[in-house]
Formats: sequence, structure tokens, C-alpha cells
Amino acid sequence: MSDFEPKIVGFFCNWCTFTAADLAGTSRLSYPSNIKIIRMMCSGMVDPKYVIKSFLNGADGVLIGGCWPGDCHYINGNLKARRRVAMLTEILKEYGIDESRLWLRWIAASEGTMLKEVATEMTDKLKELGPSPLNLDANRDNLNKDSKTA
Amino acid sequence: MSERIGFYICHCGINIAYRVRVTEIAAYAASFPGVVVARDYLFMCSDPGQELIESDIKKHNLTRVVVASCSPRMHEKTFRSACARGGLNPYHAFHMVCVREHGSWVTENEDEATEKARIIVRAGLKRVSFQDTLIPSEFSVNSNSLVVGGGIAGMQAAIDIASSGFRAYLVEKEPTVGGHMLQYDKAFPTLDCTACIGTPKMVAVGQDKNVELRSYCEVEDVSGFVGNFKVTLNNKARYVKTNCTGCADCSKVCPVEFPNEWDVNTKMRKAIYLSFPQAVPVRYVIDKRTKAPCKTSCPAGTNVQGYVQMVKVGNYQQALNLIMERLPLPGVLGRVCPHPCESDCRRGLVDSSIAIRDLKRFAADNANLADVPQPEVEEIDKRVAIIGSGPVGLTVAYYLRRKGFKPTIFEAMEKPGGMLRTGIPDYRLPPAILDQEIDHILSTGVELKTGQALGADFTLASLKSDGFDAIFLGIGAHVPVKMNIENEEADGVVDAVPFLRRENLERPGSAKKRVVVIGGGNVAMDAARVAVRSGAETVAVVYRRSENEMPADHEEIEGAKEEGVEFFNLVGPKRVVIENNEVIGIECIKNELGPADASGRRRPVPVEGSEYIIDCDMIIPAIGQRVESAPVLKDTPIDLTAWGTFTVDSDTMETSIPGVFAAGDAVTGPATVVEAIAGGHKVVTAIERYLNQEMDLFDQERKAPEAVSVEDDFVPLPEGAALVARAKSAFIDPSERKFNFDEVDLGLSEKSAQSDADKCINCGGCCECKLCVDECKAGAIDHEVKDEKEVIDVGSIIIATGFDPLDPTPMLQYGYGKYANVFTNLEFERLSNATGPTLGKLLKRDLKDPMKFTDPPKSVAILHCIGSRDINYHEYCSRTCCMYALKYAHLLKDKCGHDTLVYNFYIDMRCFGKGYEEFYKKVQSEGVRMIRGKVGSITEDENGILTVLGEDTLSGRMVEIQVDMAILCTAMEPRSNAGDVMRKFGIGIGSDGFFQEEHPKLAPVSTPSSGVFLAGACQGPKDIPDTVAQAKGAAAECLALSAKGIVEVPPMISFIDPDVCVGCQVCIGLCPYSAIEFDMFNNISEVNSAVCKGCGSCAGHCPSGAAKVRHFTDQQVFAEIDGLLLN
Repeated sequence: MSDFEPKIVGFFCNWCTFTAADLAGTSRLSYPSNIKIIRMMCSGMVDPKYVIKSFLNGADGVLIGGCWPGDCHYINGNLKARRRVAMLTEILKEYGIDESRLWLRWIAASEGTMLKEVATEMTDKLKELGPSPLNLDANRDNLNKDSKTA
Repeated sequence: MSERIGFYICHCGINIAYRVRVTEIAAYAASFPGVVVARDYLFMCSDPGQELIESDIKKHNLTRVVVASCSPRMHEKTFRSACARGGLNPYHAFHMVCVREHGSWVTENEDEATEKARIIVRAGLKRVSFQDTLIPSEFSVNSNSLVVGGGIAGMQAAIDIASSGFRAYLVEKEPTVGGHMLQYDKAFPTLDCTACIGTPKMVAVGQDKNVELRSYCEVEDVSGFVGNFKVTLNNKARYVKTNCTGCADCSKVCPVEFPNEWDVNTKMRKAIYLSFPQAVPVRYVIDKRTKAPCKTSCPAGTNVQGYVQMVKVGNYQQALNLIMERLPLPGVLGRVCPHPCESDCRRGLVDSSIAIRDLKRFAADNANLADVPQPEVEEIDKRVAIIGSGPVGLTVAYYLRRKGFKPTIFEAMEKPGGMLRTGIPDYRLPPAILDQEIDHILSTGVELKTGQALGADFTLASLKSDGFDAIFLGIGAHVPVKMNIENEEADGVVDAVPFLRRENLERPGSAKKRVVVIGGGNVAMDAARVAVRSGAETVAVVYRRSENEMPADHEEIEGAKEEGVEFFNLVGPKRVVIENNEVIGIECIKNELGPADASGRRRPVPVEGSEYIIDCDMIIPAIGQRVESAPVLKDTPIDLTAWGTFTVDSDTMETSIPGVFAAGDAVTGPATVVEAIAGGHKVVTAIERYLNQEMDLFDQERKAPEAVSVEDDFVPLPEGAALVARAKSAFIDPSERKFNFDEVDLGLSEKSAQSDADKCINCGGCCECKLCVDECKAGAIDHEVKDEKEVIDVGSIIIATGFDPLDPTPMLQYGYGKYANVFTNLEFERLSNATGPTLGKLLKRDLKDPMKFTDPPKSVAILHCIGSRDINYHEYCSRTCCMYALKYAHLLKDKCGHDTLVYNFYIDMRCFGKGYEEFYKKVQSEGVRMIRGKVGSITEDENGILTVLGEDTLSGRMVEIQVDMAILCTAMEPRSNAGDVMRKFGIGIGSDGFFQEEHPKLAPVSTPSSGVFLAGACQGPKDIPDTVAQAKGAAAECLALSAKGIVEVPPMISFIDPDVCVGCQVCIGLCPYSAIEFDMFNNISEVNSAVCKGCGSCAGHCPSGAAKVRHFTDQQVFAEIDGLLLN
């Protein structure tokens, strides 16, 4: 399992977490390349469909990044995201998607270091957890490997 | 038409290319469906790079363009413009992929970086084909600008905007503009006086007709968008109007002093003050805080802080005048008030509360009632009958008279005063005092009719027919409450109220040998102490709870004990023991304390079988009084409560009969004098309104929303204040006073009264003694002003809120705040400044008095980088300290003599500006010692000499020097309220805590919020030249908007598909900007595009999928997700 590389989709708010990702870059903070970022204007814009679509497409994890409560550029979009994620976690569990695959984190524009830490931590956690049941590629690889070793 | 995509990947010099194999990516893109051209290029953002796109669009008929380079936050606009120039709608055609900040710069492995780039490029290529044509909306720009912060940055920006003919609102939260620069003495490296170069700017912003200066004002709320902001300002109440001439007469008479913030607390200012002589506007301001707790706890609302201050300065007449505004009986209250003010006094948190009641008495005893000014009012021909001459009746009469009404008091007894005369013993309240104060009330034109009993001599009906326009019932509560025990009617049982009345008025000496008083209130104490004076040999007080629960004043209990009164606590009366119908004792039962009752006190529970008898021949029950309502009820049916008191409206104090009001004990039951007076004030307001036919004002007040409770803003408790014992009056010795009715408490001496008043913290800031009002010849002072909200429309905003200096107190090793002669840089600036505490002399601080300065130092250590370049505080360099440290060295040599030893402890000298290095050389040549290394500690000996221990890293040795003075060059910090400002204006904060510019190099004054710009040290530590330069830059940005007059607003906003919307209206509740309206006719929700900001709250939730954010539609995001995850 050690060579399993989880696929993580990051939906980052333009004002805080996306900027933090820029800052991580300008600060040359390296972190695992597993996470790929989609820019959203606000975490409150992240439709549950996007998360479900990501998992259906085989993502092993989804990270939603928003501004700290009270700091939202749009007053309270991040709080809407928080409620939505709480609901979504319950639903995903019903379909066999472990709740630790969907992360919501507040990462402010100045917190490039935190972005690196979260990206690293999430990658490590997902490596431990193994591929999502919907990550067909990884499961097939495992199957092949298992049959070879057997 | 099938899509024709052009793909470009940038090398960014080597920034991208050193990790991402760009040619490989370009080759990959070339193989992607629809891509007709795929290139890699050294600098895509350069002119040739952009031209490449433009020409390809034409040559290859491109419909879409994807650029993989830096963050879209950096160059999205650049490439959109290139596409537009190439003839494409940029929103339709262009998408940017970030392979630098999110790729090459954060991925160490080349293979990984290349693979990551390939995947996000794939997502971009998939997304771009789903993008729609969008046209940005255009809005007109309001040509006014708002500048927040009146320091040098704000002033400069405002002046520049104004000089181009546009209007600038300059908002400064302090009473004066100027900011830190004007607190400094000289500006490096040219050493020009900051006042000389700064005050002309201050005058300019004060006078320019295009600058709307709002000092002592704060921005409360910002809404709208670039070109069209709506800003709510809060003009804080200054209490001094614009016609102030700045003559300073007011501050000369002001008794209240605080450390002056402008002088960083190195000297004092008055509560009415001008920050410094050159302040702009030249308009005084009154420092008012949350109302002092002594004032709020006084039921009658007396200006306690005011008269305490007047006693402090020896103006006893004004003290009395202030008291008389709310208390018509100052000498009485100065003796008998239970002083709730003292319990709430915050000085009690330091040592002991101020002896407020004694100070009131002192003022009353030392000033003249006849000199109390009476308001000049017109006589009003309305007569008010006041029944009862107790404290409430006198209050109602006095204050109605002061308003011009004609009150007549009817008193049943022969002399006026009610309970004050009959209930309170003379040793507490000498009748002469009472007479004097009642005489004063009568002298103002109040009519008094004594020997006139309600029900016997007149009735409510007869008063009405006699032509009284309103009636006030202040008949008190004089009927004793019975104990309801066996043999209560026996000879020798005399209730406290008649007992006291008789002893007070006739003094017959009616106490028998062995007296037992039942009860624990003040009446019980009075009865016991009067019994002592009226012939009793032993007096005992029987009280059913413990002393802790006793409602009597502590000093009364103590006084009784001193006079030999015995206390039986936790004992209840059960039966009067008689012989021949005469009292021979009282049977009592012991109590235990059970759970608390409704009053919060623990309920006494009798212990079975614990009965015992106390032998006595007189029993005085003092367990309460009730109202005698029978005389009223005789001819007028009036509503009573279950306790037999009059039913009144709690606001108007009107009884069930219109035009008849009641207050005092007759409404509250037995209570204190000051509570009676409080009720009296309500009645005065009500009767005035009643007679003016304005009773509906009460309804309006009831409807008005309650004031929002704000956090207390008291003057802080003094730190390290000397503990001072509370002033104590002299008392007559118990052995002497037991035998007469002479006043026991002799009052305070003048010295102890003044020194006790001097302890007052002045919690509320201004004490409202109003001396300034009398003194101001311009009539500019108005203590009743309230904060005023103002809404302004502006098109652009400059934030120039500056910095806070770091407080070095927590750095214990330097002893700041502990050692007299360790200064901060700002304190040193004030010392050196001609308007500072020493008028520009550099002097040492007195070891005992921090506000006193003595003689020039002979040696000084200057410590650089205090809190800067320090991982424990701030990693950044504050950029100004090296230079001002050199300036201090020069000033010390200049002002204190060239033999003054100056040591600079530095880490690195950073003299980067124009003329800075030269200045460094010059100061070195003056003989200043430069030591490279940090100071580890400063210690002080008993003579105030400081030992500075540090390391000289050049010689590798420890250095230890003795100096007279040390200066800490503290860091510039972000303002403590930077977070609030950030949220208010929708801007960002960087990791150093300062506001984040849009781009560190190319957009140093812009913020992510379009139309909001930064200037000065709020964006990062800066010296004056850089600040001014940035301010001019920010002004230019504002002017660019104003001059163009039109602004494009990004079209990425929401829209609701009318064909899909089901009209559930969930989006309306979610929208933070109320930008969605409901169309009743079509049963759909609609987005108001002028208000929508495109947050997508609606789109993220819409159950039918009708709400979408343009440029972030499901199709577009799905395509991107597909691109990231699927081949």
C-alpha cells in the first residue's frame, strides 16, 4: 500500500485559502503534489454536487478551504459551507465514503504554512486509509498486485 | 462550431521550467482534443508573449486560450486583455492554470511537478470549452473618496485628492489629525522639525474646502462596491461645538486629570483637553466614558463623581450645587443615606471605597444653601397639592417649584419632615439641619400648611374643588406591623414608630429599665440606641436571622454595639410574658438558617424545644410599617396592592385616579430616604408632563428600543497606586454620647475630606461638574450631545490607519515600567518635542514620580530591535529604528552636551534610504559608541543607575555599562484593531499582521477589494518618505477611478434561470446582500445584478439548480473535476 498516491481535489475560496496556496508557493513551501486545486470564489459556493462528483470520479479525498469564521469576504459563506459539509459527511457515510475523506479547513490568506501542513497531513491520512472504494484505478492496481503476490 | 484551443505554458524564466518539463506539457496539450496550437515560452506575460497569443488567435482562428503560468491572481487580467485585443470575449475564451505557485514552487520532485502540471492543465483545457460569453457591467463612479486615518499618510492622500478638485472625506478616530509623525520631534536624516513640516499638512486638511475632515470619528460600516460605496460614520460626541476658540479657559477649571495619550502618558491633561497646542481641529474634546458606577448606583441619579471632584478642589459651593440638582436635602442625605454608591465604588477594588456620604455631608456643611442657583423659569399658573412633607414630598415640591409650578405641601403634624423628623433620631440627624434644608426649600416659593391631615381636614375631592391641578400622595408608611404573638397588646409593648416619634418630638425619656427591641433593620437600631438615651439600663436586640442578613447599616449596628446594646441573633419572639397585663419578659425560640427565601436571604427555621425567656419590662417591635390608606379611601376609591400600598404605573407613578400621583414609602413600603427621592423625581417628570398634556411621551419612551448595552469603558484602575486608608470622621465617645441626643458623627476634617476625594479614580472620565460650561465664553460646551451617525457616498477608499508601537512591558529583562529611566522611543520623542512634558529638554525621570523630570542624563544606552527581528515577537524589521536611534544619539549629544556617553546596541545597521548612510557616518563622527549585539538585561540600583548587560559580537566579549537612561527602540506593530478594519473593508491581512497589498511589487497600494487602497504603515513598517510616497500612490489610484468616472464590475455574479426556478425562495434567505427578489407574478426569484457580489451562496444550495454563478457553472466546475480525475 505504501506506493498508493491518493487523489485529492481542493475547492479553495479565492480570498483566503487560494491566496494561502499562492503564499505557500511564493514562500517555496513544498507539500505533496497529490492535491490539485480548483478555484472557487467562496467556500459557500461549493455545491455538494461538486464533492459527490469528485468522489464518483475516483477522488480519495476532498478538501474545502475557506476563510476563518467572521473573515468571509462575503460575510458568511464559510458558515454555509460548514453546515453543508456537516450534512454531506452524513450522506457520504451512508454510501461507504469514510467521513475522514472530506475535510473542511479554515486557512487564512496569511497562513501559507498551515496550507502546507493541512495538505501534508491529509495526504498522509489518506495514504493510511487507502483508496476510496470508488477509486477504481487504485483498486484495480491493488487487485492485480494481490493476485501477483498470491 | 468545434472549439479551436490555443495552449501556452510559461517558463517564467526558470521559475516554472526548473521543475516542470514545459515542453513535455506543451506536447501533451497539443495532443488534447481541440487544441490547435500549443507552445511554451520564456515569459508569457511579456509583450512578445502576449503578442504571441494575439497573433495566434488571428492566425489559427482560436476560440479558446489556456495559459499555464503563475497564479491567476497575478496575471489573469493581463491575459484576458490579450484575448480581448485578439478579438475574443475574454470570459468566454480564457482560462488560466497555475503551475508556478501551485506547481513548480511547492513540488520538489521534477517528475511529480510535471505530472501535477499535466493534470491541472488537463482540467483547464476541459473547462475552457464550457465558458460563456460575459460582458462586465459598467457603473458610474462617485468622485468622492474616503481616507481612513489622519496621520501623515492620510493627510497627504486627502490633500492630493483635494488638490485635483475632488472631495476627500478624512476620518480620524482621535480628536486631532497628525498621527505618530506629529508626536515625533525631528525627522531623520535631515533633522527637520516634524511639527514644522507636519503642521502645514494638518492646517491644509483642516482648511481645504475639498477636504471634509471628520476627527473623533470612526467608520462603522461599509457597503456597496467599487465606485459606489456607502459608508456609515460615527461622529463621536465631542461635547464641544465648532465655535470653540481653543482658548483653554475650560481646561483651567476642569478638576479631572488623566495622563495625556498624545504624550504617551508622560504628562497630564484635563478631562476637557486639546491633545497638543497645534491640534487640528483646534477644538477641545471632553473625555467621557461609561457613567461612573457611583452615579448609576445612586437611586436619585446624583452626580456623585462631580461633587467628589468639587470637594477635591475645595469648591464646596459647586459641590452643593451639583448635589442640589438631584437631592434637595444634602445635609440629611450626607448623614443618613445608606450610600449604595460606596458599595459600587471602583476605588474599593484598589484599597477602600471613597467616603462618599461623608464628603456629601462635608460639602453640605461647608457651603451655603442660599447660594445654590435657582433656574430662571417662567412662573406657571398650575397648582399642585403635595400631601406629606417627608423626603418624597419635599423632593416633588422643590423640583416642581424649580420648573415654575406652584406646589403646596399639606402636613398632618405640626412640623414638616415626615419620617426624617419623627423616625430618625436626633443624634443621627440634628433637627437644625433638617429645619435649615426645609426652610431653603420653602424659601424658593413652596407653600407649607402644617396640621392639615388628609381625611380629617381635607380630602382628595376637596383639593380638586379647591383648584389644584394635580395631587401628589406622599403620605409614607407610619402604621406599625404587628408581630402577631400572644399578649402583644400588653402594657410595655410599644412599637418603634410611635416610640421614636415621641422621643424625637417630646423627649419624655419613656424607655423602661430593661428593653428588648425586635427586628434587625435601621428602625430597630434607632429604637435601641434611642432607648439607651431615654433611660434604659439594658437594651437587647432580638433578630431572627444572623448578623450577616441584618438589613441595618453596618455603622448603625456597630454604633449600637459601642453603646452597649446586646444582640440576640437567630432568635425569634414567640410570646410576650406578662404579669397583671404588664410585660415581664419575652419568650423566644432559637432559629437555624434554612434555604434562601424570595429576598435572597436564608430563611430562619425555629428549633423545636429551644424556647427560653428574656426578662424585660419593655418590648419595642420594629419589624416594619405599612401605609395608612383609610383617609384616602374615605371619599376616593383608589387601587391598592396586596401590601396595602398605592398601585401606580411604574413609569408615570400615577395612581388609579388620573392626576393623582404617589411615591415614596406609600408606594414602595418602608424604604430609604434616597429611594423616596428617586420616586419623587419620577413624579416631578410625570406631573410636569401631565400638566403640559404630554403624557404620551411616556408611551413613546416605552416603545423606543432599549439602548444597546455596550462594554464598560471606565477609566482603568490605577496600577501601583499607593494604598490609602479611608477617611474616617471623628465620633463622640460612646461613654459620653450615651446620655444625650447630640450628633454622634462629627464629620470629616477639610484635609481628610480633600485627600479622600483625591483618591477618586474618575471612572466616568469627565465628572460633569459643568464648571467648563460656566467658564466658556463662546458657549461652545454642551454636555448633552450624543454620538451622531452620518452616511456618506464615496467611490474609493484609502486605508491609512498606521501602526501601534509595541509595548515592551512583557519583556521583563529590560525593566520597562519598573525602572524609572527606561523609556520607549515614543516617550523619548515626546521628551525631545517642544510640546512634550519637558518642553523639549532631555531629562531623567524622577525615581518616585513618573510625571516629574529632573536633570539631563550623562550616559544613555539605546537598544535597537526591541521586538523586531525577534522570533518571539516579530520576525520582520521595523525599518525605522536604526535611523531614529541615530537621531536620538545626535539629539542627546546636541541637547545634553557632547560629553554625554551614548551607546547604540544594534544587530545590523540598516541605513538604506537617501541620505541615511551619510547621516550614520555623521553621527558616528560625533563620538557615539556603536556596539553590535543585543542587550540581555537591564537592572537598576537604588540610585536609579541602570546596568546594561550585553554582548559585543564583534569582539566576542560581554559588555556591562552603567547608564542614566536607556531607550528601547520598539517595533512597529499592526494596529490592535486591524482584524476589525480588515473585516469592515473586506481586505486581507498578511502573515505579519499588516494589511496585505494585492501584489508585493506591482500592486503595492491595491487590495483584493477593488476600490480599496492602502497607504502608510498599516501595510507594513515604513518611514515618512515611503509613507508619503505610498499615500500619493493611493491618492492616484482614487483619482484614476474618479477621473474615469466609470468602473467595470466583474460579471461573475449569480443569475437564476427563470425556466428552472420553482420559486422556493430558499436563496433569498441565504443571500448575504439581499440581492435576490421574488417576482410574485412569475413565481420566481430574481437576482439584482447591481447588488449581487457573486459569492454563490444561492448556487451552492439551489435545490432545482436554477441559481448559478456565472463563470462557475456546474458544467464548468464538473469539467474541471473531470479533468483532474479522469484521463
